[in-house]
Amino acid sequence: MTLQLLISGISLGSVYALIAVGFAIVFSILRFSNFAHGGMISACAFIGYFFQASFETPPPFYVTVLFTAVCGVVMALFIDTIAYRRIRKKQAPTLYYFLASITIAILIEQILSVFFGKNLYGYPQIFESTTFYIGSIRFSSIDTLILVVSLVILTVLLFVINKTRIGLAIRAVAIDPATSRLMGINSDVVIITVFAIAGALAGISGVLLGTKYSVYPSLGASMMIKGFIASVIGGLGSLSGAIPAAILLGVVEIFLTYWLGSLATPIVLFGIMLVFLAIRPEGISGKFAKDKV
Amino acid sequence: MGSILQIQGLKVFYGVHEAVCGVDMDIQEGSITAIIGSNGAGKTTIIKAISGAVKHEGTILCRGVPLPPRENRVVRQGIVQVPEGRKIFAGLTVEENLRTGAYTVRGRREIDRLLQEQYEMFPRLRERRQQDAGTLSGGEQQMLAICRGLMAKPKILMLDEPSLGLAPVVVNDVFRNIRRIRDEGITVILVEQNAKKSLGICDYAYVIETGRVVMSGTGEEMLQNPEVAAAYLGSSRK
Ligand SMILES: Nc1ncnc2c1ncn2[C@@H]1O[C@H](COP(=O)(O)OP(=O)(O)O)[C@@H](O)[C@H]1O
Ligand SMILES: [Mg+2]
Repeated sequence: MTLQLLISGISLGSVYALIAVGFAIVFSILRFSNFAHGGMISACAFIGYFFQASFETPPPFYVTVLFTAVCGVVMALFIDTIAYRRIRKKQAPTLYYFLASITIAILIEQILSVFFGKNLYGYPQIFESTTFYIGSIRFSSIDTLILVVSLVILTVLLFVINKTRIGLAIRAVAIDPATSRLMGINSDVVIITVFAIAGALAGISGVLLGTKYSVYPSLGASMMIKGFIASVIGGLGSLSGAIPAAILLGVVEIFLTYWLGSLATPIVLFGIMLVFLAIRPEGISGKFAKDKV
Repeated sequence: MGSILQIQGLKVFYGVHEAVCGVDMDIQEGSITAIIGSNGAGKTTIIKAISGAVKHEGTILCRGVPLPPRENRVVRQGIVQVPEGRKIFAGLTVEENLRTGAYTVRGRREIDRLLQEQYEMFPRLRERRQQDAGTLSGGEQQMLAICRGLMAKPKILMLDEPSLGLAPVVVNDVFRNIRRIRDEGITVILVEQNAKKSLGICDYAYVIETGRVVMSGTGEEMLQNPEVAAAYLGSSRK
């Protein structure tokens, strides 16, 4: 049983990692917590649902994931254009980003509520409660699928950030935008790229969460809180901190839910986050500790 | 060789404050041009204007062609700035710092060649290439900042106060390397408060006071000029 809980926790944590990383990458460049991320997750969960449901025989899962990722990119760039770009041009204080992102998050959730608020939408039942065994351990196929997809995406992302030219540019702009520009880096392009990456991550996590839970307008908001907790524990803006923190969070959550039930668990989780903010505000990694928040 | 950069009537405003008030300069290809002046004179602002980092009035021509108004495009023209205070990327390794400098350079092999060039010049950087650049000493950081600039294969390299805060031995080292860079055919614009040293190595110099060119001439002429001596040479030995 313990091992099954552990695997289930890691699987949940890997989705939190996708969310936390989408959150952290925007924070590392623009120094604000992009709460619109939750709205995008909800919207993408619905997009994925309707895409999947529009076929007589549902397409392979990766097709839905890719389609939604692309929709996430488009949505993120659209949000950047209408809500953030002007703030950037005016070099307005970070607070304005923060307000704009909350506004967008609420706006998306309300729009979804107007159209789809009355029902719960379950993804077409292809994965429903199928399980398989390896030895005597029972695996849920949804959990396994989520884990595999998340780990693949995280691996690709870390490769891009750490080993490619654009990844180096992203890290340089995160450290010092003005000096990056003197290296010939176009910081506007980097910012747009970062929003595109965050959008793709929102899209993918939306689909994964939709298959695990059902789809409802505040899905993204409630899940994003978990990603947010993870990125705080990992150190705001730090990718290397956010991933282990998110997986740890998933595991802790699953075990706590098993022991304490699903009502008491969030109280403990938020308690942990408060303790972290109090004693180690720079997070696990301690990187980017200064001039954050 | 001839002139590579012509600046005419350059003005820069920060709000209503006029930091540069109509500067003319003519930079000769393959030379070291020093821009000296006390703190707040407007030296940094002039090279920021060349880099496209601040809005300006007046014209800046590179071989007769106006420079683009954006930093990343100026770099692509081969005009590269090594900013005041080194501004290396702490948190990136030494090698990653060098690679950011080559952002506009295409081709993995070319970038590797440039890396080797820097490492040959400063073996210390090779030894520390996987180390966080933030852990280097001040002198090493300055070398890294200069090499990072060279990674872009510049025609014109603009150095803003490269000797600032360095020990005298290290300063000598930096100035020796600046001359070597010029000897390799790169045009150097050297902004310095250390007037004595920079006049010693430059081919031509401009003296800036409150946003204006107040004197100019060869390094030799400036060193012998009594006004320069009174204003800059007495107090410049830091
Ligand atoms: N970002 C800025 N905003 C407002 N004023 C500035 C800014 N940067 C420089 N200045 C002012 O412009 C003048 C020239 O500064 P600067 O070019 O940095 O001088 P220098 O490099 O010769 O020390 C100074 O009076 C300085 O206070
Ligand atoms: Mg200066």
